[in-house]
Amino acid sequence: MIRAALCALWMAPMLSAQAPPFAERSRQIIDLYAHRPGGYESIAAKLYRRQDAAWCSQRLQELLASDPTGDMFWMFPVTAVAYLDQGQLTPAARSALRRAWKTYMPYRGDTENHWVMYYASLYLMAQLWRDEPGSEWYTGKSSAENLREAGDWIESWVKLTTRRGQGEYDSPHYMAMFLIPVSYLAAWAKDPSMKKRAAMMLDYLIADYAAENLDGIYVGAHSRVYERQLVEKWANVSSDFGWLWFGVGRPLEPVSVYALYYLLASGYEPPEVLRLIATDRSQPYTHYERKRTRNRWRYYDERHGPVYKTTYVRREYAVGSDQGGMLQPIQQHSWDVTWWAPDLRGIHNTLFMMHPYSSIRELQTYFTFGPDGAVDEVVKSKPTYDSPDKILGGSPYEKIFQDQDTVIALYDIPPGARFPHINGFFSKDLADVLEDASGWIFARGGQALIACRPLQPYLWRPIAGGGRRLFSPHLKNGAIVQVAAASEYSNMEAFRRAILALPLETHLDPEPSIRFHSLRGRALEFTWGHTPKVDGQALDYAAWPLFGGPYLEAAVDSEQLVMKHGGLRRTLDFRILSIRDEGTR
Amino acid sequence: MRSLCVMLLLSCPVLGQFSLFTCASISKAYVVGAKLPASGLFFKSTAGMWEHLGFNHPFITALDYDQRGIFYLAAGNGLIRAWDGGRTWKILTGSDVTELRDVAIDRNAPGTMYFAHTAGIRVTRDNGVSWSDADSGIRRKYTEAVRVDRTRAGRLVAGAQEGLYFSPDGGRSWQRAGGSGFQVMHIEQSPHDPCFWLAVTQQGGIFASRDCGRSFENLGNTGVGRNLYDISFDPTRAGRIAVAGWGPGVMVSDDSGKTWVARNAGLPRPQVWSVAFDPANSGRLYCGVHEEALYVSGDAGVSWRKDGLEGSIVHRMTFVPERPAR
Repeated sequence: MIRAALCALWMAPMLSAQAPPFAERSRQIIDLYAHRPGGYESIAAKLYRRQDAAWCSQRLQELLASDPTGDMFWMFPVTAVAYLDQGQLTPAARSALRRAWKTYMPYRGDTENHWVMYYASLYLMAQLWRDEPGSEWYTGKSSAENLREAGDWIESWVKLTTRRGQGEYDSPHYMAMFLIPVSYLAAWAKDPSMKKRAAMMLDYLIADYAAENLDGIYVGAHSRVYERQLVEKWANVSSDFGWLWFGVGRPLEPVSVYALYYLLASGYEPPEVLRLIATDRSQPYTHYERKRTRNRWRYYDERHGPVYKTTYVRREYAVGSDQGGMLQPIQQHSWDVTWWAPDLRGIHNTLFMMHPYSSIRELQTYFTFGPDGAVDEVVKSKPTYDSPDKILGGSPYEKIFQDQDTVIALYDIPPGARFPHINGFFSKDLADVLEDASGWIFARGGQALIACRPLQPYLWRPIAGGGRRLFSPHLKNGAIVQVAAASEYSNMEAFRRAILALPLETHLDPEPSIRFHSLRGRALEFTWGHTPKVDGQALDYAAWPLFGGPYLEAAVDSEQLVMKHGGLRRTLDFRILSIRDEGTR
Repeated sequence: MRSLCVMLLLSCPVLGQFSLFTCASISKAYVVGAKLPASGLFFKSTAGMWEHLGFNHPFITALDYDQRGIFYLAAGNGLIRAWDGGRTWKILTGSDVTELRDVAIDRNAPGTMYFAHTAGIRVTRDNGVSWSDADSGIRRKYTEAVRVDRTRAGRLVAGAQEGLYFSPDGGRSWQRAGGSGFQVMHIEQSPHDPCFWLAVTQQGGIFASRDCGRSFENLGNTGVGRNLYDISFDPTRAGRIAVAGWGPGVMVSDDSGKTWVARNAGLPRPQVWSVAFDPANSGRLYCGVHEEALYVSGDAGVSWRKDGLEGSIVHRMTFVPERPAR
C-alpha cells in the first residue's frame, strides 16, 4: 500500500503535467523564431506571422547573395519561404530566390531522408514556377519535367513505405526530415491526390512514433541515432514532436527548427486516436514492426533486407530490439532498455550491449566508397565509428531475440575480428547496482528493475560523461536482460530472488545458446544461427506484420494502416487514398 | 575564352592540342548538406590555371565527350550533359538511378552511351532521351567501370562487384571475362592495340586481355593485396602504362605491363586516385594524390611537382582534343 502510494507520488508529474493545448504549443514555437533575427527560419516564421516583411526581403537577399549551401537542407527552408511569401516579399527578393534555383545545384544525397526533402521541395517549387523551360532550373529540366520526376518518386516512396516499411526507420532525429516535407506537401501541393497522400502519410509517420514513444522519448530499435542522444534520450528531436503533438515530455531547449518548419506548413494536429495511442500507458503492450534495411548496393542479392522489430512498452519503461545483424551503416541501434523519469534532461536513461563493429565491407554495402580512405571519411563526421570503445552501430556478429520485456543477445565474433569484445552501457543514472555472485547484475533505472546476465567474464571501463562500460573480451558471448516494474516487487531483493529462481541454461560451444524461463512465464530458447523459440514454437518471421500490436495493424504489402484505441478506429488505405474513421472513445 | 575551342579531332587524336579536364572534389570534412569548396568539373587553361566549370558538385566520378564537344558526367545525382565548354548542364536521368560511377560513349554508334551505377549499367541509344538497363547477365550489379571498344560499335567491357564482363551486343548480354571475385575499379583499352585491355581491381591486382576484352588474366602479383584505381596508356609511346593505387602510388611499366616500377619520389604520399599521360607531350604524366593536389611529371614519374587542385581528390582526368575556334 505504502509502495503504491510512493509510486503514485513519484509518477505524479507525468500524470498531472498539463501542457498547453496544441494551438498554444504551436504558437509558442512559431513565436520563438518570429521574434528573433536569424536565417531562413526567422524569415519563414515572420512571413507566416505577416510581420517585418521589409526585413524578410532584405535578409533573404543577404542569405542568397552568399553562395547557397546545404543541398536539401537549403531546399526545404527556402521552399517554405517561397510558399509563405504570399505577396510580402519585394520583387527583388523574390527574383533572388527564383534565381537561386537556377544557379545553385543542390545535391540529391544518398539517404532516404535526403531524397524525400529533395523531391518534395523540387515538386513544390516546380509547381510554384510552372511552365518554365529547363534553362531556368539547375536540373536543366523544365518545370513540367521536374514536377513529374519528383511526383513520381514521392508516390513510389509512399508505396514502398506502406508495403515494406521505411529504410531509414524510427530515427529520433531524422524523423523530422520526413515530417517536414510531408507536411509541406499536405499543405501546399495543388494536386488533390498528392495532397491527400501526404496528409495520410502524416498520420502514418506520426502513428509510427506514437506507438513507440514513452512520454515523448522515442523507444525501440533505431536505424539512425547520434551518440549523445543514444544515451541522453530526451535530447532527440523526437522530444519536440512528442510535446508538440501530444503535450508529453519536454521539448528541446530551444525547440528545434524542425518543429517550426513542420508547423509553418500543415501545422497538422494528430487525431484523437493517435493522441490516445501516444499517451495511454495504462497497460503494458508489445508492438511489432517490420522495416527494411537501407539500400544494399554490394554483397547482397536483395536490395532491401527485412528488419523485424519488437518493442515492449509500459508506463515505467520500454524494451526494444531488432533481430541484430548489420542492418544499417554506422548509426544503427539494435536494442535497449529505456526507463522513464519525471525529468530526463541530462539523464542517461538506458541500458544495452553491443559488439563494436566497423568495416570497409559495411561501408561498401551501403555506400559507393572505394576501399581506401572510406573509414577515415566517415570518422570525420562520426568520430567514434572506428573506435573499439564505441557504443553505437550494428554488427554481423550480434543476434537478438526479444519476448515482452526479456531480451537475449548472442555474440559470435570470428577470430581475427578487429574488436574482439562486447561493450555494455551502464548509465551513471542507474541505482542500486549489485553484481551478484550468481553472475547476474541487478540495477534500477527509475522504476524499472533490471537484471542483466552476461555470459562471459567482464571488466568495467569508465565512460567520459559518466557511467561505466562493461567490457567483455570473449568471442562467444551473450547476455540476458529481464526487466520488471518496481511496482511488481516489494523491493530489489524480492526481484533478485525472483530472477535467481528462474530456470536458466547457457552454453558457449559450439555456439552461444540460452534457455531461459522469463519472469512472464515463457520458456525462451535462442541458439546462434537458429530461429528463436517461445514455449517450444519457433518465431515465424515470415508472418511478421508491417505493424502489429494493440494499437497499429498493417500487413506487409497492404498499403493500409489501422490505428485503434478503445472504440476508436482510423483506417488509412493508400491504394484508394481514403481515410475511414469509426467508433467513439 | 573557349566559347568554344573544343572542336574535336577524333580521327587523329595524337596530333594537335589537348585540354585537360578533371573530375575532382575538395572533400575534406564534407558531408551532404555541408558547405562545399569548389568541386566538380575543372579545366586546365593554356595558361596553366585551373578553371572550375559549371555547378559546384561534390560527386562527379567520370566524364566522356562526344564529337560535338559535349561532355557527359557520371555524377552522384545522375548522368549530366554539359555543353558550352562544360558550363551549361542538364541532368539527363531521373530518380531511377543514383551515384553513377562511370560513363562511356560509343563513338561508332551515334547517340549511344552507357553509364555504370550502383545497380548496374544503363544505355541510351537516342542521345539521352530514353534509357534502359543493359546489365542482363551480370549477377551482382554494382558496377564501377564500363568501356566501349573504340573500334567496334556495341562491344563493351564492364567491371562489376564480382569481376569483369564482356558484351558483344551493346549490353544486351554479358559473359564473364575474368577477375572473378574482385571488385573492378577501372578499365582501359590501349590506344596502340585495340585488342589489348587492362583492368585494375580492389585487392586483385592488374588484369590484362589480349583478345579484345573477351577474357582477362592476372598480370602477376603487381598490386595484389592493394587497391588500384586508375590506368593510363601513354598515347605517345607504345608499351608505356601507368597505374595508380593506394599504397603503390604511381607505378609505370615500359613493357606493356610485364614489369612495373614505383614512381613516387616527390609525391607527398603514395595514395593516388588517378593518373593520365598527356597525349601531346611525351613523358608528361599527371596524378591525383589523396587530398593533397594534382601533380605533374615531365619524365614519366621520375620526378614530380605540384600542379594545382590543392586538397582535392581527383577521380578522373581526361584529355580532350581541341582546336581554336575560328
